[in-house]
Amino acid sequence: MGDLAATLTGGHGATMEPSPYRIQSKKLTMWLFIASDAVTFGAILFGYAYLRVGSPEWPRPFHFSPSILNGMVMTAVLLTSSLTMLGAVAAAKAGQRASVIRWLSATVLLGIAFATLHLREWFHMFDEGWGLAKNPDGGPLMFGATFFSITGLHLMHVISGVVALVVVGIGYNTKWLDEGHIETTGLYWHFVDLVWMFVFPLLYLMNATR
Amino acid sequence: MDASHDPGMRFNIAIWIGLLAIAGVEVFMTYRGLSTHRLLAVLLILAFVEAGIGLLYFMHLKFERPSLLWSFVISVVFVILMMNQLWPDAYRMVSIGHK
Repeated sequence: MGDLAATLTGGHGATMEPSPYRIQSKKLTMWLFIASDAVTFGAILFGYAYLRVGSPEWPRPFHFSPSILNGMVMTAVLLTSSLTMLGAVAAAKAGQRASVIRWLSATVLLGIAFATLHLREWFHMFDEGWGLAKNPDGGPLMFGATFFSITGLHLMHVISGVVALVVVGIGYNTKWLDEGHIETTGLYWHFVDLVWMFVFPLLYLMNATR
Repeated sequence: MDASHDPGMRFNIAIWIGLLAIAGVEVFMTYRGLSTHRLLAVLLILAFVEAGIGLLYFMHLKFERPSLLWSFVISVVFVILMMNQLWPDAYRMVSIGHK
């Protein structure tokens, strides 16, 4: 908020128009990125949903144990990581540098746990014969293509988020970055969590063996 | 969002528990024997509720200027609705025999 106050009350105020949303430019940039990424995920998820309900022979390979159970644990892990991220943002606003690092470390560990569980699920499916264009049951090939594409895109976001959290954590600890960077990175992390709120029901629960 | 609008960790934990509960309801509904279309509708509604809560309270949109919330929501919804013109093409792929 310091940059914003300086911009509004003096400094560059004479030459720069204030933000219409009263937020820092980096935060506005992140919101614009999130909007574009939301549209990307929205398009592929709704496209998948059309394909899913339009295919009567669509496979349902996910048994409650281990697949759905694993998905539930992944959901809990990712939601908990959002909670720890909120802790990091609150600590950053309060100027508690050591506390920020602790909360960020917890978030990173939970992110790594999520990615590990996700990859374990993938390798389990590979062992069963599933692949991008493989169906061990001889049914529609589109299941593997959509499942691995969408969950892969989400996993890439999680891994990118973990890397970003580590970089921002180091930058904040060395005073190269400020609390605004923690908050902005937090927005990205929460967004990754929100996307999973759609991926889990649409990709896992809709394909559960019932 | 400034520090005065931070709802506090206790409130955040309540939101976290609520989101976990909604995810639990999703799993419960999956095994209720609903038809594919109905299950999709139920899961989507619950997912949108989760996303809405996350946007407002985890991403703090509730504590920002309303103009940011409406700019974000309206633009995303508008683009996705426009894409709706293309999604039914998935049915064409099914009908022409792609597996």
